[in-house]
Amino acid sequence: MRKHSRLRLAIIYFFAAVLLLGTVGPFLWLVSSSFQYERQLLNRPPQWLPNPIVLDSYREIFEGAVLGEESGVPYQSRIFLGSFGNSFAIAGSVAAIAVVVGSLAAYPLARLNFRGRSVLLFGILASRLIPALSLAIPIVLVAKQIGMSDRLITLVFINLSFVLPYVIWLLQSYFKTIPLELEDAGRIDGCSRLQVVIRIILPLARPGLTSAAILAFLVAWGEFLFALLLSETPASYTSTVVVSLFATDVDVNFVSIITAGVISVIPPICFALIFQRFIISGLLSGSLKG
Amino acid sequence: MQTRPETQRKEMSQGALALIFSAPAVLIIAATILAPFLMAVFLSLHNWNLKRPGRERFIGLENYTDWLTDSDFWEPLRTTFTFAILAVIVIVFIALLVSLLLNERFPGRGVLRALLLVPWAIPSVVNALLWKWLLNPQYGLLNAIWYDLGIITEYQNVLGSMPSVMIWLVIAYSWIHIPLATLLLLSGLQTIPSDIYESAIVDGAGIFQRFAYITLPMLRPMLSIVIIFEMIFALKVFDIIFVLTAGGPADATNVLGWSIYTETFRKLDFGAGSSIAMLLGAITLGMAILFYVFLDKGVER
Amino acid sequence: MKGKMVTLIVLLCIAVIAGGALAQDDGLKLTGWPYQVDVVTENLGRFTDQSGHDAVFLPFPSNEYRDKMVASFVAGTEFDVAYVRDSYLAEWAAAGWIVPISGMEGADELLADLPAGIIEQMSYEGEVYGLPYYSGVQTLAYNAAHLSAAGIDAPPETWDEMLAQAQMIKDAGVVEYPILMSLRSGENYLLREWETLTAARGGRLFDEDFNPVFQEEGSAAWEALDWLTEGLEMGVIDPASITDDDPGLLMAAGTSTFATTTDYALKAMNDPEQSNAAGDIKNALIPGTDEVRSGTWGYVRLYAITGNAPDKEAAWQLVQFLGGKDATGEYYVPKRWALEFGLGFSPAPLYEDEEVRNSLSGWIDPDLLSEQSEYAISRPYRFVPFFSDWEIGSWGPLQAAILGDADKGEVLNELAEEWNELKDDWGY
Repeated sequence: MRKHSRLRLAIIYFFAAVLLLGTVGPFLWLVSSSFQYERQLLNRPPQWLPNPIVLDSYREIFEGAVLGEESGVPYQSRIFLGSFGNSFAIAGSVAAIAVVVGSLAAYPLARLNFRGRSVLLFGILASRLIPALSLAIPIVLVAKQIGMSDRLITLVFINLSFVLPYVIWLLQSYFKTIPLELEDAGRIDGCSRLQVVIRIILPLARPGLTSAAILAFLVAWGEFLFALLLSETPASYTSTVVVSLFATDVDVNFVSIITAGVISVIPPICFALIFQRFIISGLLSGSLKG
Repeated sequence: MQTRPETQRKEMSQGALALIFSAPAVLIIAATILAPFLMAVFLSLHNWNLKRPGRERFIGLENYTDWLTDSDFWEPLRTTFTFAILAVIVIVFIALLVSLLLNERFPGRGVLRALLLVPWAIPSVVNALLWKWLLNPQYGLLNAIWYDLGIITEYQNVLGSMPSVMIWLVIAYSWIHIPLATLLLLSGLQTIPSDIYESAIVDGAGIFQRFAYITLPMLRPMLSIVIIFEMIFALKVFDIIFVLTAGGPADATNVLGWSIYTETFRKLDFGAGSSIAMLLGAITLGMAILFYVFLDKGVER
Repeated sequence: MKGKMVTLIVLLCIAVIAGGALAQDDGLKLTGWPYQVDVVTENLGRFTDQSGHDAVFLPFPSNEYRDKMVASFVAGTEFDVAYVRDSYLAEWAAAGWIVPISGMEGADELLADLPAGIIEQMSYEGEVYGLPYYSGVQTLAYNAAHLSAAGIDAPPETWDEMLAQAQMIKDAGVVEYPILMSLRSGENYLLREWETLTAARGGRLFDEDFNPVFQEEGSAAWEALDWLTEGLEMGVIDPASITDDDPGLLMAAGTSTFATTTDYALKAMNDPEQSNAAGDIKNALIPGTDEVRSGTWGYVRLYAITGNAPDKEAAWQLVQFLGGKDATGEYYVPKRWALEFGLGFSPAPLYEDEEVRNSLSGWIDPDLLSEQSEYAISRPYRFVPFFSDWEIGSWGPLQAAILGDADKGEVLNELAEEWNELKDDWGY
């Protein structure tokens, strides 16, 4: 296993290339299109590479963000990068809270024997069974009644309620794989349950926690329906809402939509990359301790 | 088990501990979902059409019995299941292969793992555009590629007829959902200690034997969770239908998620819309329990 | 180090979220789709100067605008004035989400300048619900270069001629599928196309008393479906018609020769940045039959006062400014849209405005367009609250009938029955 034979690597890179083509290939077309004129997107056969390289849509988005109204670029391009702040705040908070609160809830489901465990497990999941579309208007109505519409915190809560069931299920399954002996050893040393979770379970469950954080971040980052329905002013638009503003009923600025989409992909991928460093370091420290 | 007496005194019952530990999560979910959920239940028991203000009335289970005796429920239900089963199979199968690949150690693995998330990170409106451009019968990219490769001699409209429209919806949907499934399976694979594999190799187990006797059994809890999650997602499918086919052609892709949308947001019949949502929720819950019992049996401690 | 970074990020997030509680402003709130947001805002600035009322424009995504507004209306959000498309005017009016303007001060005078057809499309149960933002008619767009490449001098005057020309264009190898129809499921597609085809055969889908007539054998509506089936079988109507959501793009790609389209869509088709066929796309009268020259229908986008608006008087002032005259007595906003952006207008005085006429001629033939609008039929049946209930259920069966998967007669009779049930249920 440890010896990396050339053949093994060759096979791995072959499949990795297939995988890249499948996942990143279509995205590369988006990138290429974002540097073209709109009419070129309609060419037959397709214009695979931009010629000439058209930077207008990027220029508009960055100039608009920096110069504001003075830049003279369309409203949508101007407010796009600004809306990243909202999206990032929501997705970051959701990821952080989901991991903390989710770990706490997952622990008893994984480790404790209590009556109603299955009920709790499925009760939590059941909250995700009704399609969001049919809860949408009741949620908007309730939020308005209690004065919580048009606020980012409401979106944090809504996104949390969406991702927590998945995070909890994921983590409880993950916690189960951690050997009981380690935990028992900690208990004999006099740790309370909470200390056991913090000192023993969580460090060993880093890969699971990372997956949970990435999941939560991506779901919240891409959430559109509630971000739209709960916003009443442009100040609370998330980036997904602003991307949709490029279609105006009279016309659609396809290149700008695509450019905005390409830029939107960068933050979550960076988030995933940073968090994966945690996994790797987690594995190392785990192996040292374990 | 020998524990020190003072810890035992402080220790609460397991039920109480579970309650305290899960309270924050349960409260967040309940605070957000409970009132709207009850409102949806309430609406589903009423004749509640927003276009007829003042004529709302309680009708018990009539909305439900209406749907259950209506082919407008059963046909979309069948389509929903066809879609969901295909999608879950495709997603789980491919995600399993991909996660096995990414669980191998090789230079560049970390970057590949992050790039794998790209389809999921693209905003849904842009994803819709991407698939529109991939599948378009005139300026479509896939048509151009197939044509160049000699697979087709004439551009195809894959969304125009069955069964190709269903196949391509499943593909488009899976493309977006595979990253999540892979992420979960990968974190499951990482819990399998590598020394088990090493001793299996020493015992002369081949790659397929290792997969069948070590990987699969140890991955089973996570695999069952992925299947349950993906089942839940796929049964609620709406977005991709909304943008690519709007239920057409000739209702071939009319799923329950689409019916819920049209009843609620287009016909403004909240009673009818909520009651299908409840029915779909109940069916999904049944499926989740069934899968859980079936897949997780024997894995429980 | 890592821990600190994470803490920092979390604190930042909390700060942004806590700061996200938004200031309330007391001005009038106008909601709409995000077309030319800066121009709308500029116009509102003029309104504020003239009236003293603050006003702000809140743009929401065009494709989800209707859903967003439904949620806002139910929740009771205090938007004052909203853009409305005529296709859901009746529902919003029935639900009480928008309020009539008839009877408001100065309304009669502004309505007197509007054609009867436009007023009809802003009305529900005898009350007018707003003033027009932009309006126009469905017309025929064709690619003149394709026609001349196939040796054809003039666009078709009848539907049969269109099939024949399409066959010639196909045979000449110019394009594979010359005719693009909008037959997709969705409120903007199938039913409208069917209405166009029916109107241009001198027919209607429903009679004056909202009774269905499309199911009668030999009716124009029936013939329209037969024509679609024939064209699809001949291979001159693009099979993509059944799924395509944007005919304008295929015209701009230069892969379609004929499409029916809203008038303003020709602008993008003839824009060199957006279109590969720029300059070649012309408008013509929608074809007819040997007896009927043409037929079409009009659309209106309007400004309406919402039921939630706290100050209806102020909201009415804003609607008058936007859809009617400003304080100087000029149709300032409608004229600006027409002049600078080519959006169709309704007030009669603008038709005679030389400036407005000249601005259109770059991308559309204004004379042909105004001739086309003379063939517009009225569609009062669309202004009943149950129309979309019926329409949504019609897409699947109609597509099956067009594709030859279902018997036309059976489908049409069933659709007629469903309409009659709804009609009885609603007491129409």
